[in-house]
Amino acid sequence: MPRLGRLRARKIRFQRLTPWLLLLPALIVIVPLFAGGLAAGLLRSFNYMPVIGLDSPNLAAYSALLRDDEFLPSLLLTTYIALTSTVIASLLALGAVLMIRRLNAGRSLINFLLQLNLTIPHLVGAVGIVYLFSQSGSFARLALHAGFINEPQQFPALIYDPAAIGIILVYVWKELPFIALILLASLQQGGEEFEAVARTLGASRWQVLRFVTLPNLLPALLASSMIVLAFTFGAYEIPALLGAYYPAPLPVLAYRKFTDVDLASRPEAIAISMIIAVLSLIFVLLYAHITRRQIEN
Amino acid sequence: MLNVQLCQLRLNKLNPLQALILFFSITLLTPTTVTAASENEFADDSWDEIVAAAKGGEVNWFMWGGSDDINRYVSDFVGGLLKKRYDITLNRVGINDTVEAVNLVLGEKEAGNTDSGSVDLIWINGENFRSMKQGDMAFCGYLDAMPNNALIDWENDSIANDFGVPVDGCEVPWSKAQFAFAYDEKRTDTPPTTIAALIDWVTKNPGRFTYPAPPDFSGSVFVRHVFYHAAGGVKNLLVDFDQALFDEVAAKTWQILNDMKPALWRAGRTYPQSITQLDQMFANSEVDITFSYDPSSVGLKIENGSYPATTKGFVMTDGTIGNTSYTLIPFNSPNKAAAIVLQNLLTSDEAQYQKALPEVWGTMPAIDLSRISDEYKDKFNTLERHPSVVSEAELAEVALPELQSSWITAIEEGWKENVAR
Repeated sequence: MPRLGRLRARKIRFQRLTPWLLLLPALIVIVPLFAGGLAAGLLRSFNYMPVIGLDSPNLAAYSALLRDDEFLPSLLLTTYIALTSTVIASLLALGAVLMIRRLNAGRSLINFLLQLNLTIPHLVGAVGIVYLFSQSGSFARLALHAGFINEPQQFPALIYDPAAIGIILVYVWKELPFIALILLASLQQGGEEFEAVARTLGASRWQVLRFVTLPNLLPALLASSMIVLAFTFGAYEIPALLGAYYPAPLPVLAYRKFTDVDLASRPEAIAISMIIAVLSLIFVLLYAHITRRQIEN
Repeated sequence: MLNVQLCQLRLNKLNPLQALILFFSITLLTPTTVTAASENEFADDSWDEIVAAAKGGEVNWFMWGGSDDINRYVSDFVGGLLKKRYDITLNRVGINDTVEAVNLVLGEKEAGNTDSGSVDLIWINGENFRSMKQGDMAFCGYLDAMPNNALIDWENDSIANDFGVPVDGCEVPWSKAQFAFAYDEKRTDTPPTTIAALIDWVTKNPGRFTYPAPPDFSGSVFVRHVFYHAAGGVKNLLVDFDQALFDEVAAKTWQILNDMKPALWRAGRTYPQSITQLDQMFANSEVDITFSYDPSSVGLKIENGSYPATTKGFVMTDGTIGNTSYTLIPFNSPNKAAAIVLQNLLTSDEAQYQKALPEVWGTMPAIDLSRISDEYKDKFNTLERHPSVVSEAELAEVALPELQSSWITAIEEGWKENVAR
């Protein structure tokens, strides 16, 4: 009897350990790479790197950034790009999802079309946007043949433009299906019963949308749009390819400083990356806070 | 459901934080064993010993990857010979700016990686060479062991000094280049042939000219042409960096470039970010003038159909800047013997001739043509240039030297501060 008890205790202990053991491979990757890398970057942004003789940490890189004329415009531009892309993509995705669920025939075709570009990399999307929307792209050529314009400059500047239209176009094109997909998945998890109940209790179509469907979708919408916001805030390749030279979004500015011939710019580059990381973290926390409140309500 | 997981996976992969972290951890996790490598471990070896040590090796060559023709020459012709004759595999790593390779080596040095770096060879010159030399990151002093070193004229100042910095056996010349412009006869009757005329032409043809933002190397060298013009010639500038002189000439240069701005493409509110983008804009008739540090590229681009056949190369009668570019082995390359064999192959008359063929690359040889075999002397003598490319003689007549790299860095910085915004 005591022997059996010990065995059982051991078995229970092992069962408690199992999830951790299974998590171990993931943790081995995440902890050193994530925490270790972040810590190394943070130290470097404080000018602390004993290996090369920098052993008195300071805030020089951060104060240099505040004095840099380009930093503030760059921060504003990055925020503008991320917010605009996220809001447009979210609204369009929400609209698309509400339309799709009313379809009977062709629904799977629309679903397929919607998901198709999830497999296409951002870079390929950016090249496509250049071919279509640049001042010598397909649309400009069509406009020329149709006689709307006489030379490339007359076509509106949509790429490399201060309003970052090209960048926002790529992000909307790419993130809309992602948000829509999450919303569709969330709708399939039992939203329809509540709507049916509301209808049987006499709610109008608008009331069902306002008081049942939208609240039901909100957590998924917030979750996916926060992911998109954090991503578009920190992504480098699209603004690097389609952005104007000045001001450059933060990730591009960080890269330019990192590859500056003047090695003193490197801590500044890493400081920008740290600021991007902190702001992305704030977005995620904000999201967690809002969804918790929504769910509690 | 699977789809949701898939796209979560995708977003995870692209999460900015993780990308950032991965980036830093690469520096953090590189091995930190420090072993003192002797500076010229190959100096006393015979060539056969080096070739034997190199056999079966691999060379990671980091080089500017913006030209398909150059890439093809390196990967196919050079890579093919290297494999066939020496059993060495060539990995061409294309980069946008040489400083990326310099940064990589610097990061490895900071992390204490002295013998297992990821870069075996860099196509380099100018300020990047200065950085490598100043940071003790170049592998030097093995040139005597290399047979084709005999073909290099080290007495020539433009070979022995890289943008004013003595080479000191730390790199091997590979190519010579000289800046040239190009226009389309169909769109422009007579192109401007002095910098002053060009400035005038730009204001009279608004929206039809621009230049890539420095530090793109072609954009940077264009700004230097204006700088030379503002200084009234290059003569006074061929000295160590002089702040007072720089301030005086720079003020005039920024004035000219800022005055030009409203007449530039997009009214100077933005600039192309690379020479590749400018070339594409020229090909698409968005601008009427392009330029290149590689005059023969005009011929290649006409042949491959990206430029119209009516495109013509031209030079400024007040001069265009020329330079020599080199290959350099970083101090921590784990494949030095293989990299040396590659450098030797690159400086052979055979490889330099292939590189000079107009349909391959058409660039000027960096070896002394009076020292090569008679067979290749004949071949070089009968080499035909593409009719649209500026002739060798015309180029030589207007060649201007490069400044010391400290000047160039200051000009690039100043442009960013005073013109870009």
